[in-house]
Amino acid sequence: MEEISGALALIGYGLAAIGPGIGIGIVAGNAVQAMARQPEAAGMVRTTMFLGIAFTEALALIGFVLFFIA
Amino acid sequence: MRTGRIGRRLLLGGFFLLIPVLLILFPPEPHHCDPAQDIICRPEFVNDLFETPTIFSIGGFAVNRAMLLMFLAAFVAIGLLWFAFRRPRVVPTKFGAAMEAVVGFVRDEIAIGIIGPSGAKYLPYLLSIFLFILIGNLFEVTPFINFPITSRMAIPAFLSVVTYLIFVIVGFAKNGLGYLGGIVWPKSVPVGLRPLVGLIEFVSTFLIRPLTLAVRLFANLVAGHVMLTLLLASGVVFIAHAGDIGARATIGIGWFALGMAIFLFEIVVALLQAYIFTLLSAVYIQTSVHPEH
Repeated sequence: MEEISGALALIGYGLAAIGPGIGIGIVAGNAVQAMARQPEAAGMVRTTMFLGIAFTEALALIGFVLFFIA
Repeated sequence: MRTGRIGRRLLLGGFFLLIPVLLILFPPEPHHCDPAQDIICRPEFVNDLFETPTIFSIGGFAVNRAMLLMFLAAFVAIGLLWFAFRRPRVVPTKFGAAMEAVVGFVRDEIAIGIIGPSGAKYLPYLLSIFLFILIGNLFEVTPFINFPITSRMAIPAFLSVVTYLIFVIVGFAKNGLGYLGGIVWPKSVPVGLRPLVGLIEFVSTFLIRPLTLAVRLFANLVAGHVMLTLLLASGVVFIAHAGDIGARATIGIGWFALGMAIFLFEIVVALLQAYIFTLLSAVYIQTSVHPEH
């Protein structure tokens, strides 16, 4: 099993990146909509968007760590 | 005014032209690679990009390039603030005004904007990590340095541990044991769900937070450094061996152009990751200062 462990980790990381990818898309898309509707609130929306992206990323980052551990 | 702007554009353009010229004049040596056999030489280990040899050692402590760059980043951060604010003036110089904008951004948008009026107390810490991470990240795209110190896990991990200690200590100092109680037994959730939500909150606050804070910075910089190295180096290797492989070398131009595009993108990533690390540190401190929120 040793020689396929690297490939399995790669596939696992790829799978782990699907969910956060979709999630970040939703966060950023909705932030763009909010900024277009209320440009005066753009600063606040942008900060919140970065926070949302940062929290959504967490699962992808854990996948990244597992890739190194595996 | 007009000539000044044109001059500045020429300077910027010259800077980006200089890098390809320098790389072609001094190509990075491809190790253990026989271009006559196969032009695409596999790098031995990706780790080699991040390992720096020991330069000298002081009493058992080996000092390598990454450590020296770490000190350089700290000195640059101190130097920027020192030269900008050593003599406060009514009308600041251009450089002073730029640094004031940076400090004002961290204070108003991050420290006070996130933590609230009591956030100014945390400005020294937030500004220090912001500048240190920013300079460490920008080393990635600085010619002749080309090594982001934040791509060594030790530095993001250490900064993340410091943030962790600050928000845990502030939480216990401000709320006593109620801080822990508020996390493992949240009052805003129906009683039946409290053990489950409490467990999730506990794991997310005390384990996931420091881990993701460190890994986010580390992963972004590792990915950027690997991408830049592969694209720019393969571009140079292809073009430098044009004599051996003939017309196929033109693909090197494409790799190099893509590398330069990623180069610009990495500047944005460096700024953004420094901002996000500082922002998240502020958010974590804020949840300890006002835990009911």
